[in-house]
Amino acid sequence: MSDPWKECMDHCIAVTKEAGKMIREALKKDIPIMQKSSPVDLVTETDQKVEALIISSIKERYPTHSFIGEESVAAGAPSILTDNPTWIIDPIDGTTNFVHRFPFVSVSIGFTVNKEIEFGVVYSCIEEKMYTARKGKGAFCNGVPIKVSGQEDITKSLVLTEMGLKKDPEHFKAVMSNMQKILTIPVHGIRSPGSAAVNMCLVACGSADAYYHIGIHCWDMAGGAAIVTEAGGVIMDITGGPFDLMSRRLITASSRAIAEHIAQQLQEFPCGRDDAVN
Amino acid sequence: MTSMESDKCWQECMDVAVQIARSAGQVVREAVKQEKRVSTKSTPADLVTEADHQVEELIISTLRERFPSHRFIGEESSAAGEKCILTDSPTWIIDPIDGTCNFVHSFPMVAVSIGFAVKKELEFGVIYHCFEETLYTARKGQGAFCNGLRLQVSKEKDVSKALILTEIGAKRDPKTLKIFSGNIEKLLSAPAHGVRIIGSSTLALCQVATGAADAYYQYGLHCWDIAAAAVIIREAGGVVIDTSGGPLDLMSRRVVAAGSQEIASYIVQQLQPISYERDDNGHSTQ
Repeated sequence: MSDPWKECMDHCIAVTKEAGKMIREALKKDIPIMQKSSPVDLVTETDQKVEALIISSIKERYPTHSFIGEESVAAGAPSILTDNPTWIIDPIDGTTNFVHRFPFVSVSIGFTVNKEIEFGVVYSCIEEKMYTARKGKGAFCNGVPIKVSGQEDITKSLVLTEMGLKKDPEHFKAVMSNMQKILTIPVHGIRSPGSAAVNMCLVACGSADAYYHIGIHCWDMAGGAAIVTEAGGVIMDITGGPFDLMSRRLITASSRAIAEHIAQQLQEFPCGRDDAVN
Repeated sequence: MTSMESDKCWQECMDVAVQIARSAGQVVREAVKQEKRVSTKSTPADLVTEADHQVEELIISTLRERFPSHRFIGEESSAAGEKCILTDSPTWIIDPIDGTCNFVHSFPMVAVSIGFAVKKELEFGVIYHCFEETLYTARKGQGAFCNGLRLQVSKEKDVSKALILTEIGAKRDPKTLKIFSGNIEKLLSAPAHGVRIIGSSTLALCQVATGAADAYYQYGLHCWDIAAAAVIIREAGGVVIDTSGGPLDLMSRRVVAAGSQEIASYIVQQLQPISYERDDNGHSTQ
């Protein structure tokens, strides 16, 4: 039986490559910066152009499909996930890194049908690493199969997280308190590279054993989610319950043991939902 | 030795350093694919592997054969009990694998770092990113380069537009972690654009030299983490100073580096110190 979504995935990979090229070109020039919700929530023309490129390319081929794109949502488009085939797009994940030319910058696209993730593509475009995964068919980096480290011992783990954008002092305190708790387990170390989608791929290929984050968005997670699970890893909510794409939070890890250990440490704090109706 | 003769000699030293850094990088690339035997040093977060020892031995034996009168300060030799005193003699200051924890996990930020000092002045630095095969070099007075391209720090003076790098350090007790967190919180509240941690001090310092990061600060790194990078950043137009705001103290286990004096000064004012034992065990030569 042929794969009904293979053609979509091939198209996704092709347009992602184009997007990556556009980003690399933009890095050779000056990058004027704008702000969104706060002085540290950055966006550039390239974010907007790349998203427009991706959406127009997909719309032409698949006019009935739905889209949730970071910049479209910022411009007022809804971000409710329906059963309709839906493309969930972050045109530049790691915009702050992009603006500074700091190496971890990616294009992230996840594709859902009936609210289930069917495939994910993440292109770390400065490193030129294309991560892909189709549900049930494994995960790959530049065509080579990848798998998680398999680490089950939290005290030998390398954990990724980020030190978020919000300026709310209570939010900061919770983020830093969570980091301290994880460091005290103890773990081997914590790394903050600056791109959620790349972080998920680093777990998928075994270079890190876990990534947790409270406060990201569905477009940061949708591409990487299939890649991690197809690489043999786990993804869950920070409470230890099932992963919820619109919840703005996740733990992903090389093993259930590590994910659950992290879930036990983390203090929740409110981060809103992507599908919240205002 | 005349100034011209010594200049020619240090250039020769630098050329050898580049060659040996590349060879060492290849050893690291091979070793990362194999199983690693990991031990700990000062704390459970302070890792060392056989590869660290092998690479340091390779570098030091090659250099010693070529320059028998020179002295060496190496991370693993120092861990084995060799003294870490900087004298006037030509001295090589070596970190065979910077980012050992990253190496153990195959996290792609691992470097070989070779610094060189004469009369206690840093003369050149060579840092080799083993996985990207990127070579960062600088000779005092002659600019800084990455794979042959001239490096220039970011000239950003406004901390609210800055991307700042740091590392955690080996101490993980609650008191230290509270200060560590507090320092980050102050900078993120500036509000800096962001704080990143990549797990290799030398490569993080190189990001300052390339302009990709606007500043780096850390408590707990060693002289072998700073020696090469300090030359590279200064030759790219940046500043490298002590966390107190005074001149860099190579053995002090702490540093602030930035593209501009303004950002360096801002960071200095915000930081609450974390103390680590000096590399020279208090035998300061300054």
